[in-house]
Amino acid sequence: MIRYIKREIFRGFKKHETRVHPLNYLFWECTSRCNLNCLHCGSDCTKDSSYDDMPLADFLSALDTIPHTSERITVVLTGGEPLLRSDIEQCGMEIRKRGMHWSMVSNGYLYDEQKHIALLNAGMGALTFSLDGLEENHNWLRNAKNSFSKADRAIDLAVKSPRLNFDVVTCVNQRNLTELPAIYDYLIQKGVKAWRLFTIVPIGRARHNPDLFLADQQLKEVMDFIKTRRKLSLIDVKFSCEGFVGTYENQVRNGFFFCRAGINIGSILIDGSISACPNIDRSFAQGDIYHDNFFDTWQSKFKPFRDRGWTKTGQCKKCSDYNDCLGNGMHYWHGEKENVLVCHNEKIKCASKN
Amino acid sequence: MKRNWLRAILGGLSFGTMLFVFEACYGTPQDNAGFDVLVQGKVKSKATGQAIKGIKVSAVYSPQFQYTDDQGKFSFYVYTGGTFALKFQDTDSIQNGTYQSKDTTLYNARDTVFVDVALENN
Ligand code: SF4
Ligand code: SF4
Repeated sequence: MIRYIKREIFRGFKKHETRVHPLNYLFWECTSRCNLNCLHCGSDCTKDSSYDDMPLADFLSALDTIPHTSERITVVLTGGEPLLRSDIEQCGMEIRKRGMHWSMVSNGYLYDEQKHIALLNAGMGALTFSLDGLEENHNWLRNAKNSFSKADRAIDLAVKSPRLNFDVVTCVNQRNLTELPAIYDYLIQKGVKAWRLFTIVPIGRARHNPDLFLADQQLKEVMDFIKTRRKLSLIDVKFSCEGFVGTYENQVRNGFFFCRAGINIGSILIDGSISACPNIDRSFAQGDIYHDNFFDTWQSKFKPFRDRGWTKTGQCKKCSDYNDCLGNGMHYWHGEKENVLVCHNEKIKCASKN
Repeated sequence: MKRNWLRAILGGLSFGTMLFVFEACYGTPQDNAGFDVLVQGKVKSKATGQAIKGIKVSAVYSPQFQYTDDQGKFSFYVYTGGTFALKFQDTDSIQNGTYQSKDTTLYNARDTVFVDVALENN
């Protein structure tokens, strides 16, 4: 009964947020350069390092179109690897001075004590490192021999800072699936407070590597793993926002599925495009900061994000869960957009039948 | 305005975390928890009034610090629950003269604080 009431309130809230669409979370793809060559990279977005880093001044001009409101905005620096920018502290400082908060996603490879202090000095308030397994598996996926030891050092620094809202993300695949309990123990022993698991989208170069994708039964195993570990409350482990998970809704994350792309989440991408999460098909861009006013674009465009009716096609057309799912995460629509690339709900249902 | 009312009501019904705390797959958690303050200031010599370069300005109980620049200036964000302390130390030996250390405690700081400090010679 309580679950039912919560779900109804959540449905109303979703509609309301979609109508008002407050911008709370802004990705800035500040570089497309990277110091690693991960096997799953390119599965989600165009990692074309032929782009120069976006000059800070260009980004700030776009940021300055956002009026001062009571909304709390976190600007998420992403890439590529943001730490390759030599002016990363200055970028953070300028964002923070504008009353906005900022955070960074990193592979942790270049994150040492000096960098840690410099970024805290610049007002960094949240941080995410990727860790895709214990030593062997992490190094395999990250395609670099010592990437685990570097990530390990970075985690040690981050957990010590009371200022940081810090978490670790793990991309679950065939090779690290059985290792999840060991990663869980490792993170708890490290003092990590929050851990997010996500899966890989079958596009780009990842598409050709079957080791990266989970079978139906394996996805269900991940759900069960998260569900049981959440009950222990030793670490805030959760499934990422990526998809609607049917019977596991509200049990594997703090709340129900809600793809907030273009509703609360916007982005400024490496070429100046204005969009939402960087893993969304680039054809959804709504404008670009070199020709359009960023905030006007946020306020007046983004129709495909705020009215997902176009996703009622392919297998979503007659889906009985459509109202709660609305076609899954927007990053599962690519190319001709004739069908959703992955339906988590269907995979879980199939696994439950077998 | 209406929206903030709705948020307040839903937050009061303990739906706050569920509704407002989120992170995108390839993003970070939001910076919801931290309170910080921008500390800016200048360090000079009490005897001469001249700016001192290379003084280590540290936030006590934190790993954070910064060295003063050519104009004796420093500027960094410090995590605070309202009160915090700064320590000023001459760590470069005789390079820019030698000065005594100094501690400063700041209360109820919000947003930005300006701290000008004069150090005595050793
Ligand atoms: S078929 Fe489409 S709408 Fe239905 S659960 Fe799957 S992804 Fe969601
Ligand atoms: S597009 Fe994907 S990553 Fe972005 S909010 Fe939606 S589900 Fe999450």
